[in-house]
Amino acid sequence: MILPAWPGRERLSRDQLLRRVGRSSTIGDATISRGDLLGRMLVTGGALGAGGVLAAGLPEFGASATSPALDRRILSFLLELEYVQAAFYREARAKGALKGELLEYAEVAGTDERAHVGLLRRALGRRAPKEPSFAFGTATTNSRSFQAKAVALEELVVGAYVGQGGNLSVDRVTRAARIVSVDARHAAWIRDIAGKHPAPNAADAGLSAAKVRRELTELGLWRRS
Amino acid sequence: MTSELTLAALDHDDAIGEALAGVYGDTRADFIRKSALGGAALLGALALPETAAAKTSDTALLNFDLTFEYLQSTFYTETERVGTIARMTPAKAVWAKTLGAHERAHVAVLKSVLGKNAVSKPAFNFRGATESDAKFTRTAVAMEDLTVALLSGQAARVSSRELAGALFSLLTVEARHAAWARHLVGTVPVARSLDRSFPLNRVRRVVASTRFIVESPRMTAQRSPRFTG
Repeated sequence: MILPAWPGRERLSRDQLLRRVGRSSTIGDATISRGDLLGRMLVTGGALGAGGVLAAGLPEFGASATSPALDRRILSFLLELEYVQAAFYREARAKGALKGELLEYAEVAGTDERAHVGLLRRALGRRAPKEPSFAFGTATTNSRSFQAKAVALEELVVGAYVGQGGNLSVDRVTRAARIVSVDARHAAWIRDIAGKHPAPNAADAGLSAAKVRRELTELGLWRRS
Repeated sequence: MTSELTLAALDHDDAIGEALAGVYGDTRADFIRKSALGGAALLGALALPETAAAKTSDTALLNFDLTFEYLQSTFYTETERVGTIARMTPAKAVWAKTLGAHERAHVAVLKSVLGKNAVSKPAFNFRGATESDAKFTRTAVAMEDLTVALLSGQAARVSSRELAGALFSLLTVEARHAAWARHLVGTVPVARSLDRSFPLNRVRRVVASTRFIVESPRMTAQRSPRFTG
């Protein structure tokens, strides 16, 4: 599932969504029976949404058999995201531009991301990727920029975990779920601070790893110094 | 069966969309479209091949989740019906109505996936928890946290990895609901760095301790008892 979960990003209209699954009428007008949708899912191979991009070796939503090697690739990717978050919040606090609730948010979220880094590093052992240095620019020195980027970052992380959750083995999946739920809480909090709807969808969409990396790069949050 | 998973279908008196537009500045059309995308994606995610969904263990696990979603959705619907939400501040009312809409959507999708194997809705008695803002809020947050604790474990218990992945897309929303509520009442929205996960028996015990469910759902496939003599 690669439909984005937050406003302002690429969206499919209902008609576009239905065209991708082979119907020409709108959700509002048509009766979509469970059988219809199951049939479409089997024909299209399970991709109900935008892009269908396979990312850098990480399988599409729920598509592959799980394995320890796949677990490691996924957890390494998720660790990279936690590294971004931990460094982002750490740097924002250090630069001193944040005040009040934004500062409190950065402190709490930073503590959580540091914990997530630790959990994923322990899970990967000596195969854990090293923590990179980042160059976040004004994202950490300007509180308005920080706020906007924090919203985008948490949504991307939620989307990344939701996108990969079905690819993890039973040994790893609960731990990942217990981490992303915390990031989802961060997302709701920072969205409320920013005046955005904290829970805009009944279900959060998964994002491909490629899309997450691309979006983070565009945001200036993936750049290494 | 109609699978109108838009807020429009659930927003029977048009109130939710307008309230949201008022508080968050979205146009109502935008909000409904976003909700439609979320719901349709979930239906897609949970629309598994027949063989996977027919696995007895996954059916039983999903029915447990469905019962829990019935509990939540009925709780929110009842709270609105008795007028408690109407007495809330506008921002709080948006939160409470959104949760009801989302949980009703979750019920609709789980019922759709389970088809004829879906358990029916139990009878509930919420014992006053729907009648005050404070009681409602405490109960709602506890339920949302409990859903996270339930679904994170379900992701490992179900045999289908696709289903496990789809459960992620639900549990993140429940977590958002809980953080949003905590923020509204002025407590730190995130209480721990790693959320808890509960075994099924623990979830059952917590639900049983509320005594909210007064009649257990019956499986349509249950065999009748044999009589002797």
